[in-house]
Amino acid sequence: MWKSIIYKEWIKVRWYLIMLTLLGILVLGIIFLGVQHDKIFSNANNYWYAILFNGLQYYSILKFIPLLMGIVFAFAQYYPEIVNKRIKLTFHLPLDEDKVILIMMLFGMVSLIISYGIMVFLFWGAGSFFFAREIVNAAMITITPWFLAGFGAYFLIATIILEPIWLYRILYTVITVLFIPLYLTDSVSGGYSPINLSLTVFTLVISVSLLFSAYRFRKGEM
Amino acid sequence: MKKISRYILVLITIITTMTALPGLYWLAFEKPNRAPYLFYSCINNGFVVQRHQNGKLIFSDLKGDKYTRSKYEQKLPLLYIRQLLVSGTMPDSIHGVEIDIHKVNRNRSFFRLRPKDISSPKPGLYPMFESRSGRVNLQMPKDFFRIKSRMEFINANTNTVEERKSELFTSALQHYGFAFPSKMIAGIPTTRKSCDEGYFVIDANNHLFHVKMVRSRPYVKRVKLPEGLRFKYIACVDFSDKKYYNYLISDKNKIYILTQDDYKIIRFPVEGYNPKREELRIFGDLFNYSVYMVGKDHLKIVVLNKQYQKVDEYQESWPNRTQRMEGKVFGYIFPAELSLSKWYSSYNKFYFNRTAGFHWLFLNILLLILYFFILRKRKIDPKKGIIDFIIIGITGIFGFIGVLCFPNKFYD
Repeated sequence: MWKSIIYKEWIKVRWYLIMLTLLGILVLGIIFLGVQHDKIFSNANNYWYAILFNGLQYYSILKFIPLLMGIVFAFAQYYPEIVNKRIKLTFHLPLDEDKVILIMMLFGMVSLIISYGIMVFLFWGAGSFFFAREIVNAAMITITPWFLAGFGAYFLIATIILEPIWLYRILYTVITVLFIPLYLTDSVSGGYSPINLSLTVFTLVISVSLLFSAYRFRKGEM
Repeated sequence: MKKISRYILVLITIITTMTALPGLYWLAFEKPNRAPYLFYSCINNGFVVQRHQNGKLIFSDLKGDKYTRSKYEQKLPLLYIRQLLVSGTMPDSIHGVEIDIHKVNRNRSFFRLRPKDISSPKPGLYPMFESRSGRVNLQMPKDFFRIKSRMEFINANTNTVEERKSELFTSALQHYGFAFPSKMIAGIPTTRKSCDEGYFVIDANNHLFHVKMVRSRPYVKRVKLPEGLRFKYIACVDFSDKKYYNYLISDKNKIYILTQDDYKIIRFPVEGYNPKREELRIFGDLFNYSVYMVGKDHLKIVVLNKQYQKVDEYQESWPNRTQRMEGKVFGYIFPAELSLSKWYSSYNKFYFNRTAGFHWLFLNILLLILYFFILRKRKIDPKKGIIDFIIIGITGIFGFIGVLCFPNKFYD
């Protein structure tokens, strides 16, 4: 039964997941094409200097990509469930309802981890080809909250979609819109180093939030 | 589990509103506070001041004598030298010293160190300039160095270590007893300076070294420091008088300078500097150094003569925003505020500020009563909402919004 649920999730999201990952890789391609171009046109030493001392973030166009991916992925996975209240069919299965929701969420989270993981690995690998580890490490610290924003948005958008009452959906949207910028505050390269760990833990804690909406949906809250 | 998920959502709301609402409040109601401008007058041998009063700019001295703008500028001839030369009011000599514009300019210096400069991620890689190339302009080198288990130069074009150069500098540092890795590297990593003096590096044993490159060879000098003296920040300077290499801030927040060529450590007789919350500004002129320590609600100035002895000092404070009307009202509404960035640091973290006093308790109690009636209206037993009451009691308006957004309505 669990395998079937996971397979159902896979059917729903597979093309979105593949396309979003390809989009991410495309953006990385653009970033490093830009790096190669700028390295040649402004000399590598001047380019390094601009990164080290003038605050140039060669990867700045990446900032909202994981967020966008998280939002689209949440819609791809949860929107079909509320069309004609299809998720109610899942709730009628002889399975623990919380567990079903958690498995769906876990599936989505693992999918995003794989997709983001590929991007982060490519970002790190290509970065290490062009730059010294000091530059790459600072870049990794800076992009971490951007990817966490993707996870945060995924969990909260899922909560919004599963919420049955429109008024509360709007309230949750307002909170989400105010909350997500915490991950995206402008910062110098490496400026997020004291907070990345706590943000990661915090994002993991948010993951169970959609149980609340699912519960309200299940009970037919009006 | 679902109940926990509700509290997680309430927590998110508390964090969000604790960040957003106080931010919006200050955006709407915070009033500017114009700090006075004080300068030490070499004519009066005392401070003169510019203040905004009722929308007007008032010039005076500390005794209360008021000046016109031009009279005020004449009290500060070294600061307004160009204006005084144009208006023909520049004195020929001051305190028996003949005034020559070149001499005045050579002795003029300005230095600023913000708390944010100290509390910020360091690049870890630095360009080592050729300090005696024979050229007028400095050139950006092709490599950048790090000092970890050895001194390594990394070619930016190939992203590989330049072994020969790295070996050369590592051996030179080892020869002078440098203990790897470095704890701090300070310099002026720009080609826009009058000349290059390389870097000042603190090694693993807290010893201070001067390292530069002279005709492609390493120059290393170990600076003798008084016993137990440790530095938390070094800011190198490039002033025309070439008297010292840098300002050094000790771990006990004392300000030192390191004199050029003879490497003498001299302490400024300045007390009470707080590098975490105060901006340090040091103005130098022909006769004095004025050391300013500027906080959000106060200003301290110590004036030194050219022998670095204290000749005058002044301090003033004014109400900060929490002490003003808008801050008092804030104290009645918000029990705390949270932000991810602060003016005194480049690092992002959760900066939690509890509001001073307990005026916010009034609103918290009001919200508790209101929540009680809301639960009654929703026909929910208030006993089931005990945790909600605790949340509102502690976090006030933030928790109130949180528990209302995510209703405590469970069917079992």
